[in-house]
Amino acid sequence: MAVEVLWWLFAFLIVGTAIGVVTARTVIHSALFLLASLGGVAAMYVLLLVEFLALVQILIYGGAVAVLVLLALMLTRQAAGGEPVSLNGPQAPFAALAGIALAAVLVGAVVASSWPAAAADGPVDVPFEQISEALFEDFGATFILVSILLLVAAVGAIILARQEDAD
Amino acid sequence: MEFGDPFFGNSYIDAIIRLNIVVLVMTLVVIYLTYGERKVLGRIQQRIGPNRTGPGGLLQGFADALKLLSKEDLRPRNADRWVFELAPFAAFVPIFVILVTLPFAENWGVRNLSLGLFFVFSILGLNIVGILMAGLGSGSKYALLGGVRAAAQMISYEIPLVISLLAVAMLAGTFNLNEIVLLQETRPYIIVQPLAFVIFFTAMLAELHRAPFDIPVAESEVSGGYFIEYSGMRWSLFQLAEYTAMWAFSIFAAVVFLGGWAWPMGTEWGWGWQLFLTIAKSFALIFSMMWIRGTVVRLRIDQLMNFCWKGLIEISFALLLVNGFFLYYGWPEEVLALVQWAATIIFIGFIYTRGVRRSRANEYIGTYRNPEAATP
Repeated sequence: MAVEVLWWLFAFLIVGTAIGVVTARTVIHSALFLLASLGGVAAMYVLLLVEFLALVQILIYGGAVAVLVLLALMLTRQAAGGEPVSLNGPQAPFAALAGIALAAVLVGAVVASSWPAAAADGPVDVPFEQISEALFEDFGATFILVSILLLVAAVGAIILARQEDAD
Repeated sequence: MEFGDPFFGNSYIDAIIRLNIVVLVMTLVVIYLTYGERKVLGRIQQRIGPNRTGPGGLLQGFADALKLLSKEDLRPRNADRWVFELAPFAAFVPIFVILVTLPFAENWGVRNLSLGLFFVFSILGLNIVGILMAGLGSGSKYALLGGVRAAAQMISYEIPLVISLLAVAMLAGTFNLNEIVLLQETRPYIIVQPLAFVIFFTAMLAELHRAPFDIPVAESEVSGGYFIEYSGMRWSLFQLAEYTAMWAFSIFAAVVFLGGWAWPMGTEWGWGWQLFLTIAKSFALIFSMMWIRGTVVRLRIDQLMNFCWKGLIEISFALLLVNGFFLYYGWPEEVLALVQWAATIIFIGFIYTRGVRRSRANEYIGTYRNPEAATP
């Protein structure tokens, strides 16, 4: 019972803060709403008993991605208290289109997939040993490929960002 | 009695009561840490420190707390209202959540999480958010500068911190803090992994903004950094977060590296001795932090970043690799300890020789009048 109440609480939190991301007047508020939304997703993982995934969500999305967004904002935009920057440019309708298309795909996938009729067992916790075995032994080659991709992306980002120093 | 068994009523009430005990202890510890820090620093700087309020100044912390509570809570006009007002809470909550999983003695703690170690360092990542909020929301250039510095420093030093912890988790084969402590019954991990401890301690100082890494809160450069605009209650929340973090980190380091409650004689002499061991080890670490603050000068920001990205990260990755080799081939732990000690001595010796090298700054004094000569 308590779990259901908490589920609805976090569901509203995720949706509410997600709306906040889009409607906030300043980028800083958007980033903070994004952080809250991702935190809500982590709480959902805890309710589903996948604690490892919840902690990874907090570590990667909460601790790293959102903080990087905030740091980039700090370095590029003006501080709070200045004039609010207009966030909606001519790209707004296309962004809306992309969002609606993604939502359509997701809703379509949810409707089309055949769910097990009765989830009587409930969620089970997957031990992280099992996750790491799958990640490093069964899909080891994929893992290495993904890490090379990330490395290339990081090096490329540095080259792009440091271009003004070259000349 | 097992760790998870509810001691007070059902499990929800049990969790709340345990949390309350931890919070009360935390508040007392923080009040006396501020007093202790002033006394220790006073001693190092040949002063007396607080000695007027109560016998030996022992009530100074309570007087300070009362003063802070009664001060006016100011907010600059151009501050971003909600970001500014919520920032102290965002800074404090992650630190507080860490206390949930720390084992103070056998079966003494709020909750025994199977992913305890991982829990601690993933929650630590959120620590930056409050500081960034304070820096962004204050509407002040000093706060913004302090926030940017803090964020850059904390993101960088999180990597060696996490990797040095992973080195220990590899050896232990578990993330559960209680099991890690139990595995250290015969020898604490600092004997097997001294290099990991040195890296962890350095990164910990940086994460806590303690000297010599107190660049984000440097009074002489950014006049207090991200909490410059705060006063009264909210400022004291930042202070509370800082000292609680110091205490929580010290207990965490004591648990992971110094044997926590299990070494020496922890399982034989009962819980009183275990509690004493944890507290004594954490206070020894806190004292060494204060000692460093009193004796080591502050680094520059470029030195700080260079030290992390060009020194600590490479060494910590090498440490992880060496540990992996030893574990995969099943080589004896004594050899691993020897290799690590040798590496630690070389590492510290290298830092020492760099540190005592005669500064070449004298050659540049006055050269700002003559820009051509200044380029080295």
